[in-house]
Amino acid sequence: MAGKSGRTIDATPKTSIKSRVLSWESGLIVIFIAVLIFGSIVSKSFTFSNVLREMPKYLSELFMMYAMGFILVIAEIDISVGAIVCLAGTMTCFANRAGAPLIVQIIVCIGVGFLCGCLNGVIATHFQELPTMIITLGTQIIFRGIAEVSMGSGGSVSLSDTMGFAKIGGMVGPFPIAFFLIIIAAVIFIFVLSRTTFGRKMYAVGSNRTAALYAGIPVQKIRQICFTLVGTMAGVCALFLLATSFGANTTTGQGFEMDVIAMCVFGGIATTGGKGNLVGATIAGFTIVCLRIALGQLNMSGQTILVIIGILLIVSALIPGINQSVKNRRKAIAAK
Amino acid sequence: MSEDLILELKGITKIFPGVKALNNVQFQLRRGEVHALMGENGAGKSTFIKVITGVHAAEEGHMYLNGKEVHFKGPKDALEAGIAAVYQHPTTYPTLSVTENIFIGHEFVKRGMIQWRQMNQEAKKLLDRLDADFKPGDEMGTLSVAQQQMVEIAKALSTNAKIIILDEPTAALTANESEKLYRIVDQLREEGVSIIFISHRMEDMYRLASRVTVFRDSQYIGTYDVDKITEAELIKAMVGREISDMYPKPQVKIGDEVFRIEGMSRTGYFKDVSLNIHAGEIVGLTGLVGAGRTETMEAVCGITKADGGKVFVDGKEVHIKNPADAMKAGIVLLPEDRQKQGLILGWGLGDNVILPVQDELAKGPFKVKNEAKERELAKKYLEEVDTKAVTIFDPGSSLSGGNQQKVVVAKALVQDNMKVLIMDEPTKGVDVGAKAEIYSIMGDLAKKGYGILLISSEMAEILGMSDRIYTMCKGRITGCLDIQEASQERLLELSMENSRTTGKEAVK
Repeated sequence: MAGKSGRTIDATPKTSIKSRVLSWESGLIVIFIAVLIFGSIVSKSFTFSNVLREMPKYLSELFMMYAMGFILVIAEIDISVGAIVCLAGTMTCFANRAGAPLIVQIIVCIGVGFLCGCLNGVIATHFQELPTMIITLGTQIIFRGIAEVSMGSGGSVSLSDTMGFAKIGGMVGPFPIAFFLIIIAAVIFIFVLSRTTFGRKMYAVGSNRTAALYAGIPVQKIRQICFTLVGTMAGVCALFLLATSFGANTTTGQGFEMDVIAMCVFGGIATTGGKGNLVGATIAGFTIVCLRIALGQLNMSGQTILVIIGILLIVSALIPGINQSVKNRRKAIAAK
Repeated sequence: MSEDLILELKGITKIFPGVKALNNVQFQLRRGEVHALMGENGAGKSTFIKVITGVHAAEEGHMYLNGKEVHFKGPKDALEAGIAAVYQHPTTYPTLSVTENIFIGHEFVKRGMIQWRQMNQEAKKLLDRLDADFKPGDEMGTLSVAQQQMVEIAKALSTNAKIIILDEPTAALTANESEKLYRIVDQLREEGVSIIFISHRMEDMYRLASRVTVFRDSQYIGTYDVDKITEAELIKAMVGREISDMYPKPQVKIGDEVFRIEGMSRTGYFKDVSLNIHAGEIVGLTGLVGAGRTETMEAVCGITKADGGKVFVDGKEVHIKNPADAMKAGIVLLPEDRQKQGLILGWGLGDNVILPVQDELAKGPFKVKNEAKERELAKKYLEEVDTKAVTIFDPGSSLSGGNQQKVVVAKALVQDNMKVLIMDEPTKGVDVGAKAEIYSIMGDLAKKGYGILLISSEMAEILGMSDRIYTMCKGRITGCLDIQEASQERLLELSMENSRTTGKEAVK
């Protein structure tokens, strides 16, 4: 039924080829391919099988990246995930040394992550006036503190029985097990965010929390879920990290929170919430992983690699702004 | 005839990326007059003000101040030339004191030191001149909107402004506060200040202005003497067509009671509020700003928590803990602030409309979005309320206030179990053409048998649309009148009852 004026409103979705080609994701694919080409030029060992073999070391972070994507979409932030990785890793090492079966160790690892995330969520939903940056800054210190206290004066703890974790870090054919699980996680997280009503609720909370509340969306429940999820995924991250490092120390997981936030932002997710998607973040994550592998093969130090990734991040964050100002200028010319 | 013009603008054209915001407009301000600038939203009034104050530079046109051509490069030039603007949303610093807000940018400085005592004295003088009821040392954030506006006016006076521009000064004010503002404007005029003000309220114009200039669609329509133009003529100039009946109240047979609240209380906000609505009935709820109308209904809808009280829908008690419960029970709230509470401005209209029902439309155990059905519903309801939009993907921010309100109405209509619609200030900041359309939608909804609660401070619309009117004061219901026995005086009287007791005494 049309209104009184008989005006009709168009409801056919339009996605032009041009907008697809010019999208952020396709830009990322170009960068990804460029990184691959760059890698194979500068390093002889940058081959398909080598890259896959080296990947597990870097892949564990990606598990957290997906959940961090959710956190950023709802306009929150969690900087305690690195500390959660450390705590979960430490506790798992103790379980291992106590001779617990592998399945119990896995439950401990993911369970510690779950509880830490849950705690963040409970604080965030019960003290809504506190910025989550502050909350997770506090819990970060607490989590890392507990880990360091339990490690004792040595400042590190290692697995005594590495059999099980060697299997977790193993390969299926040419692919590491972690790689398969990342792909599965990617499919699930991307599906939830882009295809389900829950995904839209997250965007609503991130775009305008008040309007979301008035529209009947359980804002606090969604925040609780997202914080619990990112903690849990930090536990998963710790699991795969142990499978390559076989131990934890006081620096385990340090800087991981910034790494995953950087991947998300590089992937087009705005820290202000409500924008971006995990397809972009996936490509961005793999781009950064491959870049690290390539630069690592050149025996470049970890610190130098960080500088390069930092520059890449800032440049990528600038591009949308430049794009917009070009568009505005064109419009202004058209109006004259 | 040679007039004593303090300000004159000729042939002003301002182009924004993609649009001509002003197209060859003109304006004349006489010395010591109050001149109203009217027009619908998007007519170019605010842009025009920003050209005068040097915020925007016009592409074409000339501006003469006291007969001499001037070119402002920025707001500072305009201020120095004696032109100051008080904007709709005061740009204040809430954590600073009143004095600091007044003198920000032009502090009294001697040898690099701020002269606090001198500034405080000067601020006190300005506040006394405006008969303000707060002190220079008060923190800005603790003041009401009306008081903040007064600070802005004081700020304008502190720069020795000869021309003061008021952009929708009364939009956020109560009747009493508006009256106070009128007195201030009168006083300023007597002191020789020339004033331009923008408003959607006819009342403001009649009360204050001697002349009115109308803009429509970025163009100059005309300048009229206020006492020589009828309201109908003026509305026609603004909207470009005649509006025969502003309040199309349909004759509806009132049905059974659909909604009742009993003894709703929340400490410090409202106490023992009871009211009911019948099917097809439009019930007005009026009172001064701060009477607790919005707070009561927000508690009913589960946005905040009430301390006590019962809610009945169709005679059955419902327990509401959150907004989703209220919607399930058939109670839908159109919030007061549509830009912050009603819509996600960055989203497409369609996504906004279907947000409350997306879960019902979703498919499968994972609640996959049913986008085809969503688009269909969004289109249907956006057309039903006659939204001025091209596609359902247009962002909410691209619409005018009136059309945004229609989208919020569509968002309510899409909930097909809706029985009661609570409209909180539905025409606030909406221009006259869109206002008439919203009233007409309201009438249609009553005809369809919905119960409607109209919360409004605007007496004309309360009297024009309601079947029955409740008044609230200091958190309590103070009266319930049938439309036949209601009058503006009677309603105001009831809204101000117990005005001797303070809010805290009345609400315990």
